[in-house]
Amino acid sequence: MTSTSATATKISLSRILVRSLKHRRARTLSALAALTVSAMVATALLTLYADLDSKLHHEFRSFGANIVATGPLTVADIQHARAAAGSDAVIAPIAFAVAATDRGTPVVVAGVDFPTMHKLDDWWKVDKPWPTGPGSLNAALIGQRAAGFVVNESAVTLTYNGQSITLHGAGKLTTGGDEDSRIYIPLKTFSEWTGVQPTVLEIQVPGGEDRVNTTIAALQRALPALHVEPVRALVAGESRIVDRTHALMYGAMLLIALTVAVSVLATLSASVLERRRDFALMKALGASQTQLIGHFLLEALVIATAGVVLGYILGSGLAWAIGQWNFGTATLPRISLLPLVLLLNLAIATAAALFPARVLRGLQPAALLKGE
Amino acid sequence: MFLRLLLESFLRQRRRKLLAGIAILLGATAVTAMLGLATTIGDRIHQELAVYGANIIVYPKADTLDVKVGDQSLKPATGNAYLHESDLAKLRSIFWANNITGVSPELRAQMGLQTKAVPDGVGVDAIGLWFDHSLSAGGGPALITGAPMLHPSWKLEGAWPQEENIVSSDNREELHSDVVVGASVARRLNLHVGDTLLTIISVPHSDDSFKPPNVGLRVSGIVSTGDITDAQILLPISVVQQIANHPDAVSRIEISARTKPEDAFARRDPDTLSPQQHEIWYCRPYANSIAYQIAEAIPGAHAEQVRQVEQSEGTILERISGLMWLISAAALLAAAVAVSAAMATAVLERRAEIGLMRSLGASKGRIASLFYAEAGLLAIGGGFCGYIAGSLLAALLTAKIFGEPTGITLHTALTHAFNPVLLPVVLALALLVAIAGSTASIRGALRMDPSAVLRADA
Repeated sequence: MTSTSATATKISLSRILVRSLKHRRARTLSALAALTVSAMVATALLTLYADLDSKLHHEFRSFGANIVATGPLTVADIQHARAAAGSDAVIAPIAFAVAATDRGTPVVVAGVDFPTMHKLDDWWKVDKPWPTGPGSLNAALIGQRAAGFVVNESAVTLTYNGQSITLHGAGKLTTGGDEDSRIYIPLKTFSEWTGVQPTVLEIQVPGGEDRVNTTIAALQRALPALHVEPVRALVAGESRIVDRTHALMYGAMLLIALTVAVSVLATLSASVLERRRDFALMKALGASQTQLIGHFLLEALVIATAGVVLGYILGSGLAWAIGQWNFGTATLPRISLLPLVLLLNLAIATAAALFPARVLRGLQPAALLKGE
Repeated sequence: MFLRLLLESFLRQRRRKLLAGIAILLGATAVTAMLGLATTIGDRIHQELAVYGANIIVYPKADTLDVKVGDQSLKPATGNAYLHESDLAKLRSIFWANNITGVSPELRAQMGLQTKAVPDGVGVDAIGLWFDHSLSAGGGPALITGAPMLHPSWKLEGAWPQEENIVSSDNREELHSDVVVGASVARRLNLHVGDTLLTIISVPHSDDSFKPPNVGLRVSGIVSTGDITDAQILLPISVVQQIANHPDAVSRIEISARTKPEDAFARRDPDTLSPQQHEIWYCRPYANSIAYQIAEAIPGAHAEQVRQVEQSEGTILERISGLMWLISAAALLAAAVAVSAAMATAVLERRAEIGLMRSLGASKGRIASLFYAEAGLLAIGGGFCGYIAGSLLAALLTAKIFGEPTGITLHTALTHAFNPVLLPVVLALALLVAIAGSTASIRGALRMDPSAVLRADA
């Protein structure tokens, strides 16, 4: 009864299969639905799981720099640091000086690149739009506590080493940290005014502890004179939280997989038990036990494969939607997960098919067909 | 008769009932565990995020300016305004007092250290802190708090100073205390745990009649922090107050509070809101409202959220709990499919029985109610067991995943395992899914002709 040698008189396996799937459409559909859901949930969770670390690390970037390098810096040093940290790192050179305000109070003035700081320290609250464009060379962001020591906030006069400069106050800065006591001005203006070079490099690299450590090593090789340190609290906390969420997701995945497996088991075993008469008939017509189980297994595997195709598409869509909705960035489908999902679904289907097959073995065709 | 049918059905068809029961049990377990985790994840992540330190900072309202850069303080802070340490107990009586999980006041002073290695003395920055302080206000439970709790990333070799080791002589001329020194100070002065050192005072005082006490310090620990604190020495705040002659003074307070992530309403200026809206704003645990209440409670204080911590924590909290809720939804979906499949199976297998009952004269309604009663019993039984199993599982996972550093042992997790609100939710869901899942097959079975069913199926 192999399908390749099928003739008009013999019934081929594939025909039985197609007929049996078509004939009991409701049954087939409910089995397909169960296997589709299992593949869908598996795909969605695995896709999210695979993407979880990079997504969470991305969220942690809102804390700002995770590496700080200190020491005297030349323009060439900054170029070297940029090369060592990689193109995806954000590097902000900062120069500091203590100047006097128009009230004569000493205040820390910092020279920075505004667009870089905006990107790096997203939590800074500036009560006006960030200064951009050519006019920003003359702009100053005044920390809210420093503002108390400035008489004229629209034209801030600062004196350093006898050199005075008057800048246009472009907004008040609130952070709740040390920044509140400082005045931020563009680095170019700062260097021309004070002649002081940057002494701090705030660096943000994407990724977890490993990436931070390799970047620190690379920076130390490139610039041995600098003192390079991770922002310890940030880096350690980040890896811990990512690990914990990871473990939580893993536990959830196992739990859900188990629940889905039971659902598939229930559906498929019902479909065997329900069809005891068909199998009895086939047995009476001369089919062997192996053929019967093979037939049933094949049926289950065909449904499982169809379920994987549907479930993979739906699951990828679900993962994409969750990524978009929860993290604001898309989670792209991963084709590398397809074999895993297929394997998982086939295993569940096989287990579910073999479980009721044991019941079939004890079948007495005559008694069953007679209706006892 | 109805009850007997019900009872016999459970007694005679154990295997079938078992499959449906297991499906409901597993489904309820999965849903309970996920809901249990999703509802507590906020607290857990807040505890984890505590490593980032305080999210609210309090300083004197009078204008002061910190002149410090990176890892060095260029000049002492301008101005001489202080808050009062004795006012801190008022934090325990504000509206959101229970949301305040850590309080760490500090007072800075400069002093000269005299050791065997440097007999002439060397200037260092000293910072007065709480280490293991019990903060309580009239009768309520005390909050044990201090700087180490707010800075879990500090690595200490040795022990934190003990408040009971502060010994002051009657005439206030002698003072003995423990001290923890920063790693770079320890390296520079070659200090080790157990060393004793003398301090001499070099702080300028406006009050010339003040004669600083002779201070004997014992190094109880060496701390590595990775920031400016490495170059400082850490003392109990009362010692610094006595040395600097600023009794009861505090220059800055770090506060860690459990907050609700900020939304548009939280950013409104409370003074421009209408009285009703002000009330709503005041009674929500936003960082801004808690800061507002702190500033109200402590005279002369200005409280501000630390935006780096607060803003970023909010997003991370939202993302992770959002993820947990979505996974709970996936668990619910999977459980619903599992349960309805199992229920449908249970009914389909029993079509012959239905045919027999109908030919014996039972009405469709009675048969349907028998099956629904069975489904309901299974759902309640399975749902209840699933609730217990799921709650225990959630506690186990919590203890396993968020274990040691946050101090959650399996024991404490288990005592808080059962959330009574979840029980009715899980039971209702189990009932709904079991009844909805069996409806289609019950109706299908009732539609069939009894004689055909009896003839056809064994």
